[in-house]
Amino acid sequence: MNGREFSESEFMICQCARLIQDGTLVFIGYGMPQIAAILAQRLHAPRMVQVYEFGAVGALPETPFVRFTMGGPRNCYRSLAWTSMNTIFAQAQLGMVDMGVLGATQIDRFGNLNSTMLGSDYHRPGKRFPGSGGANEVLTQCWQTVIVIKHERRRFVEKVDFVTSPGYLDGTPGARERAGLPRDTGPWRVATSKALYGFDDQTKQMILLGVLRGLSVDDALKEMEFTPLIAPQLEELSPPTPEELHILREEIDPDRAIIGAAGD
Amino acid sequence: MDVLQAGIGEFSVTDPDDLRAFMRTEKRRAMVDKVMPEAEAVRRYVKDGDYVSFDFSSFTRGPASLVREIIRQRRRNLWFAAKFTLMETTLLAAGGCLRGVDVGFLGLGHLIGKWVEEGRIKVTEWTNGTLTLRHLAGAMGVPFLPTRNLLATDTLTYSGAKVVQDPFTGKPIALIPAVNPGVGLVHVHQCDIYGNARCFGPGVSPLETAMASKRTIISTEEIITTDDIRKEPSKTTIPYYMVDAVVSAPFGCLPGGTQGLYEMDTAHFLEFMGASRDEQKMAAYLDKYVYSVASHEEFLEKRVGMARLLDLKRQATIKEGYH
Repeated sequence: MNGREFSESEFMICQCARLIQDGTLVFIGYGMPQIAAILAQRLHAPRMVQVYEFGAVGALPETPFVRFTMGGPRNCYRSLAWTSMNTIFAQAQLGMVDMGVLGATQIDRFGNLNSTMLGSDYHRPGKRFPGSGGANEVLTQCWQTVIVIKHERRRFVEKVDFVTSPGYLDGTPGARERAGLPRDTGPWRVATSKALYGFDDQTKQMILLGVLRGLSVDDALKEMEFTPLIAPQLEELSPPTPEELHILREEIDPDRAIIGAAGD
Repeated sequence: MDVLQAGIGEFSVTDPDDLRAFMRTEKRRAMVDKVMPEAEAVRRYVKDGDYVSFDFSSFTRGPASLVREIIRQRRRNLWFAAKFTLMETTLLAAGGCLRGVDVGFLGLGHLIGKWVEEGRIKVTEWTNGTLTLRHLAGAMGVPFLPTRNLLATDTLTYSGAKVVQDPFTGKPIALIPAVNPGVGLVHVHQCDIYGNARCFGPGVSPLETAMASKRTIISTEEIITTDDIRKEPSKTTIPYYMVDAVVSAPFGCLPGGTQGLYEMDTAHFLEFMGASRDEQKMAAYLDKYVYSVASHEEFLEKRVGMARLLDLKRQATIKEGYH
């Protein structure tokens, strides 16, 4: 229990939704990003076009949200086009997708993501996770990628155990381009349950941009294995508004399967 | 072209000329009736050691009844293309059918991860996109396709991809090897007796899967006439000559749904998720839904029941776009 009127998941989802801009094509990952996209669409981004890896373009998902599935009729309702996986990833590779929204298990200083395994020996993983799914494509191809991740020390690590999806690699200038990754792409924001991060233009290091109202910088930093850069002017991040909470709780997820209960 | 990096993941290469020779002699051009019982289709076309590909999702238009029949017939040493699937790797592994998985997305639940940790199930890393691209290359009869995905990751290191310097631009590019599955499984809304098949709504790669696979089994909600197919040819997703068997399987995706016809069975899926944490519970799940029933029809009758079927049909209120 965090003693608040909202859950950590609700704050993560609201932060993520606020980063989605109207009139853009946005690649939506599984779970929390789906909810954030619907929320953004209901508020400030009605003309945002949701793109899904199985080929749906421009869906206007019906609510209440059906969890687990992505490709079912309620989530694909009133799409503009139903294509296929090869088609949609080709369009991302062409440079048509403005933003991607992803979750991850681990993230490092340079925004490299792990969703594959924990441990030092790939062949004997301490813990095996599902792997890339479509995350590698999203972080490779979208112009900007938002990562939604719970603010925990075990997730913000000095070095990820496995690079599933490429961030700014070792952080050296032009590292992505040298590896053949599309120019001017990469992780853009990291929205957590406590804070918001970006990446420094020069050093590609994660930089703290703001913390949730009522929390200190130290509250954020103590839950990280590495120390990020800190922006000279820190933003105070607003908690979820009554309007955001109303839409999340009454329209999108009344069972609170993903948003959790207040105080979680 | 210099190879800059080579992945070390296990995979097999099909020579495109061997593939062509197979297509020349083994795939029938004649319009012959291919409708057969599910058990016969699996007996004929799924062999021990096969690479098995499954189109779309565990929740939506996935050939779930075919997977249960494969488990029922206790096929062994299969390698599974998990390009957008959640349940199938757990089910096949629990049934002792699975040797390895191309990941994609390994699957949901605790057990499948544990079995990989223990080395009981092998994996080769890909991504949903590159695994689907492997099917496109396989469907085109070329040995590989280039992509800018996968570069600079450990995913690539443990895949079968190679990085080369693109001879045109000079930039590094990943080459993704083709896959030609031994058998592809595709569930469709409608199909005629020859295998001209229609699926509606978005999908991962129904056509690529059918074209890349040496054998393709279609399970269908409904068998329609060829006259109906000819009246609206733009609705045909897969032409008959890529198809080896047509299985009539209404509600064949359960516990997933088929768009416009019936919704996914959330209660069943939660039961699976519960079972996917514990080997004994998963064994009991397989016994209940696979081994203790002789066929898909018996599964529907004894394990789902008319009331549930009608309820799932009633829940499918969104019809538009799926006809």
